[in-house]
Amino acid sequence: MTIEFLQSLSEMQIVGELTVLSLLIGGIIMAGGVILAKIAKLLFQKYYAPTLPKDTAQNLSKLIYFGILIISFLGFTSSQGIDLSGIMVAGGIFAVVIGFATQSVVSNLISGVFLIVEKPAKHGDTIQLPDMGISGTLLDIGTFSSKIRKFDGTVIRIPNEKFFTSNIRSLTVSTVRRAEAMVGISYKNDIENAISVITNEILTTMPFALCIPEPEFRVEELGDSSVNILVLVWHPRDDWSKVQPLLLTTIKRALDNAGIEIPFPQRVIWGAKD
Amino acid sequence: MKTMRNDSEINFSNYGEYDINDNLDLFLPNTEIKIQRISDNTFSYFREDSEGKITEKIIPVKSNKLKIELSPIRPLNHPARRTDNIFLKFDKEIYLSKHSAASIFVHCPIEIGIFLIHDSNREPLDWITCNHLNSRFGLYGSPDTGTLCKYAKVSLATDYSDSIPYVEGVMKIVIENTLSSGQIVSKVIFPITDNSLYYENSKTIIDGIKITMKKRALVNIADVKIIPIDSDWIKSPTWEDNTVNTSMTMGLE
Repeated sequence: MTIEFLQSLSEMQIVGELTVLSLLIGGIIMAGGVILAKIAKLLFQKYYAPTLPKDTAQNLSKLIYFGILIISFLGFTSSQGIDLSGIMVAGGIFAVVIGFATQSVVSNLISGVFLIVEKPAKHGDTIQLPDMGISGTLLDIGTFSSKIRKFDGTVIRIPNEKFFTSNIRSLTVSTVRRAEAMVGISYKNDIENAISVITNEILTTMPFALCIPEPEFRVEELGDSSVNILVLVWHPRDDWSKVQPLLLTTIKRALDNAGIEIPFPQRVIWGAKD
Repeated sequence: MKTMRNDSEINFSNYGEYDINDNLDLFLPNTEIKIQRISDNTFSYFREDSEGKITEKIIPVKSNKLKIELSPIRPLNHPARRTDNIFLKFDKEIYLSKHSAASIFVHCPIEIGIFLIHDSNREPLDWITCNHLNSRFGLYGSPDTGTLCKYAKVSLATDYSDSIPYVEGVMKIVIENTLSSGQIVSKVIFPITDNSLYYENSKTIIDGIKITMKKRALVNIADVKIIPIDSDWIKSPTWEDNTVNTSMTMGLE
């Protein structure tokens, strides 16, 4: 009964040698391929992905999924007796045309591959792209573009080509980072005393400021109105928000308490006598 | 409004277990803890610490009693947990001549943990530091490759009884110099997560370490091993996750 039914299907031709039976077999191969791809992707994500870096796991997962789909598709075409060699030749010419038309897309794809291989930054890193003025957390390096969550909560998508050719400043590679602030004190005040009171205030009231290395001070400029001192404070990498935004407040409090003047811009005018 | 009393007027609470039926007030240097029953099976927890910061919690309980333990814990949590390592900078350098050994006691900062006791289990409820000024970070090494540590400048202690209540415990450090030249030791850096703490009344002692300075190939290294204390004092519960690591090589200068 079943054999007779299949035989009848094989005799029902649709186009040329394409029969309902071969189409059915092709459909089963494709459906099997899709199911197999999904199962393989699920198993990979469950058992192997947690041990890998997130972006590597995502890319391998896509590779497994689409790899199985492509193999299934090739199985489908061969089951239908479709000769792909003709398509290959036509495809070659077509690829050249498409290549010119979609240069940026291909460029993004290739850049994505290079980004995955070179790994200038990984998922979750806090990075800065100084050329573009973008800072934030790297969410994903995808096939054509990368996504960064900026500190204001918005997500920005950057084409991989631009991302790859940009200067990338990683803010999470080192264990510690340095906060900086510039302050000007009056010429009449003692620089050593100002440095001493600022150091003391920083180490007393800023728990995330590192004691070793100690806060560093550089007299940057003997300015028009003030002696300008650059204050450099090291802190644990993830605690930038607990040091940098508070640094100027802490410095001003220290100088106020010690009676050290932060002068306004001023100009001395000498009147010439006749 | 600040409600804390002057420390000089207060008898501070000892470490140990406390049964709470209705309320309990614990007094520590610059810190006050109040636990009060607010319903049949619920207690409230209030703490004002040395920086004036107030923490309040609600504690639902199965039975109508609450049992807590106040005990010293490793100094890794204030102002935030960032590292397992501690950097003890000695206030005076120690000189060790070649092929010699010395045994010293040093003060080591501690924090205080408050644990809920369920059956025989202890669950961390809160932690405090009574001396936030001695709870800072330091970097051992260069900024690009260094190790972040909790940093404390410490003085030598006379013996285990020299512990400064609620603020510093005492740790024994055995230093052996197997090198063919004298060495000056001014600081020691090691992961403290395997060192247990023990308490009695308000005093604390900490598992010691043995540091062996030796030559491996052409490099001078310091091998650090833990020396567990055999003591009648009560062992503190563990606050943070503990990673088993009985031997380690870390920096020493």
